[in-house]
Amino acid sequence: MTGVLAPPETRIIVAGLGGQGVIFATRLIAQAAVRLGWPVVGSETHGMSQRGGSVLSHIKLAAAEAPLIRRGTADLLLAFERHEAVRALHYLRSGGVCVVNAEDGLGYDLKEALEQASITVHALPATPMAMAQGSAALVNVILIGFACALGALPIPEPALRATLAEGSAARREQNLRGFSAGADAAAKAPSAVERRDG
Amino acid sequence: MSIEILLGNEAIALGLVEGGVRVATAYPGTPSSEILAAVRGWGERLGRDVYCEWSTNEKIAFEVALAASWAGLRSAVAMKQVGLNVASDPLFSSAYTGVRGGFVVIPADDPGPHSSQTEQDSRLLALSAKVPVFDPSTPAEARRMVETAFSISERFSTPVILRPTTRMCHALQSLSVPEPSTGLAAQIRSPRFQKDPSHWAATPRARHRLHVELNQKLKEIEAAFERDPLNRQDGPAGPAPLGVIASGVAHPAVQECLAQMGVQLPVLKLGTPYPLPRQLVKRFLDQVGLALVLEEPDACIELQIPDRSRVRGRLDGTVPAAGELAPEVVYAVVEEVLAAVGISPASSTSPATPLRVEALPLPARPPRLCPGCAHRSAFFALKREFGPQAIYTSDIGCYTLGMNLRAVDTFLDMGAGITLADGLYKANKVTGDHRPIVATIGDSTFLHSGVPSLINAVHTGARFVLVILDNHTTAMTGFQPTAASPIGVDGASHQVSLAGLARACGASFVETTSPYDHSAFRAVLRRAFDHTQADGGGVAVVVADWPCILDDPSPLREHPLPVEITQDCDGCRYCIEAFECPAIVLRSDGSRVDIDPVLCVDCGQCIDACYKGFIVPRFAEPAASIR
Repeated sequence: MTGVLAPPETRIIVAGLGGQGVIFATRLIAQAAVRLGWPVVGSETHGMSQRGGSVLSHIKLAAAEAPLIRRGTADLLLAFERHEAVRALHYLRSGGVCVVNAEDGLGYDLKEALEQASITVHALPATPMAMAQGSAALVNVILIGFACALGALPIPEPALRATLAEGSAARREQNLRGFSAGADAAAKAPSAVERRDG
Repeated sequence: MSIEILLGNEAIALGLVEGGVRVATAYPGTPSSEILAAVRGWGERLGRDVYCEWSTNEKIAFEVALAASWAGLRSAVAMKQVGLNVASDPLFSSAYTGVRGGFVVIPADDPGPHSSQTEQDSRLLALSAKVPVFDPSTPAEARRMVETAFSISERFSTPVILRPTTRMCHALQSLSVPEPSTGLAAQIRSPRFQKDPSHWAATPRARHRLHVELNQKLKEIEAAFERDPLNRQDGPAGPAPLGVIASGVAHPAVQECLAQMGVQLPVLKLGTPYPLPRQLVKRFLDQVGLALVLEEPDACIELQIPDRSRVRGRLDGTVPAAGELAPEVVYAVVEEVLAAVGISPASSTSPATPLRVEALPLPARPPRLCPGCAHRSAFFALKREFGPQAIYTSDIGCYTLGMNLRAVDTFLDMGAGITLADGLYKANKVTGDHRPIVATIGDSTFLHSGVPSLINAVHTGARFVLVILDNHTTAMTGFQPTAASPIGVDGASHQVSLAGLARACGASFVETTSPYDHSAFRAVLRRAFDHTQADGGGVAVVVADWPCILDDPSPLREHPLPVEITQDCDGCRYCIEAFECPAIVLRSDGSRVDIDPVLCVDCGQCIDACYKGFIVPRFAEPAASIR
């Protein structure tokens, strides 16, 4: 557990590509927080920018009114693709955490900069895991399960599971399985986790 | 009562239904598109009878909702900001005629812009039309504001504008949602259209009197706004070296910024930027040495302040004159103005991390047509048939992304794809330019305002190929039905035929074919072009008929055609440049391309995209499931 992300005051950026389920992930986190009685504000990307381009959501688990997170003040970056993770990296505050779908780390020779900013990166190869479960669309729930089990996403696991269980019946079982796979990866395969604690 | 996460647009819709809206109309456009479907959803959920309509364009949506108001019903119309340009004719006129039932016009502005051709400020159009404006800062406030908007509209018999911006429309906020039985707004008295020629059929002479009446109404509305709690001052009272006037999303943004800086300033929040409550603003200005005005996307409040010698904002260049007020922008502006008045922030103000990602060689990821999109097949065929020298005019919709295939040379506004082809045909006759002209337009855009354009082109003897890209939906904005769809928002609708319309406009060549069948489609394109060159020929219309694969993937599910790249691929990039499918990926060493199994939808449309024949059907193994 990183211990730096005490609920409920948490700022989360969700980044990915159009079609990766950024909005689904955003709603999942927001609804799970509401289930706990936490106030939520945030911002979604809709329209033209959804067509395969970069998609970014902001979520504040806080009694705030402004929907957007200022660069350099986010606690957690949840990224479904490594280039989009890097593109959104400047939203993280010093000491923030990046949880990313990647084979091994972010690339781009960022080691020194990340150390300087005390940013921890947790990478999980979620795409092959999702394909193994039958659908690339599961990357989002796998990564959320992973972030939750790591303690990077400060929402108790039962709240996330309960929210998924209320979702559309067609995808419910698959989503819950994906979530579990991500959570298991955090517990069972520490080798898949890259840490750069500052 | 339950707590739920609402999108700003869903909160507006809830406010409308709670406020007793009976007729709601819209034409889809980002960032407004979710409002109408949410009105229908809340109506059903809360047990309210609301007629909802996706209208053919914004002017029509405006007029249908206005008629309901004239019949005494509360009504609303939603659109994106450029839609208000289309509806500006009835907007200006109805400010004079007035209304009966509360009538709320909701044009959603797009500072940035994120999904629009301009950053125009609907509040300035309202100022010109003399229509009062409400400017919500949060979903919760937008919901509450609707009731005030309805009551001001009815009390002063005037249309009113509720003007959200992208970040308000697509903000998420946890809000309490009522149960169906809890007391909602009272019904409007005696709703029934009553004849009133002095208003509903006012002649120019009567219009002068109505204008005088309108000016008087605005004075009274301004007086009402002086006392309305939508306008309020927060922060320390009394004299201060600096104060902030803010509206819309800029208000919570600057409040958060000041809190992060540990700075306390008087902040005047204005929920009604027009007519400006001038006494309130004057009293505020009298307390402060300097006032910073933060508003989006242009200067509406600032413009209405007569003496701006102690005012800083967009007009004097303190606030950038273009682009949205992102938190970073607000922060930088506030820092600069604080320094100018000699205030030092209590908290450390610099961003926490030194990361500079802008300098990294990140892949540019502009929006692209989806894998399997029939527009791509149509554009690819157009380019093969007419070559790079032809002039390709296009229009507003997903297919604007055909510019990635270099098959879109122009897009201007809804319907202009046809009119610019028409105009260029006439201009090219003068300049002696004989290049082929090919116009593309989507089904919804053709119905929106392409029809009069086609009539004009046919009637005046223009010659060009017009391809109507019929994907059976308004895809870019979230799959709203069109007049050519079998089902409207409120159930069954009468289906309009695109080919029938084109014939009725006088086009003598009209053929419908699927762009998924390349050879048949190209054969039709050739015949269409021949028609534009023939004696007695004219505009040739081709309806490219294939559903949006996101909206209706059933044809792909029934007939998947998986492909593979043979070992012979030499990385020539032709398919990448000419077909531009996100699922065809060049290896990092440039040696060859691969099919991305995550993105590929097994449409098989790329088989023709390799002229060397290295993209081939893959029969060996069972088809992968479509994501």
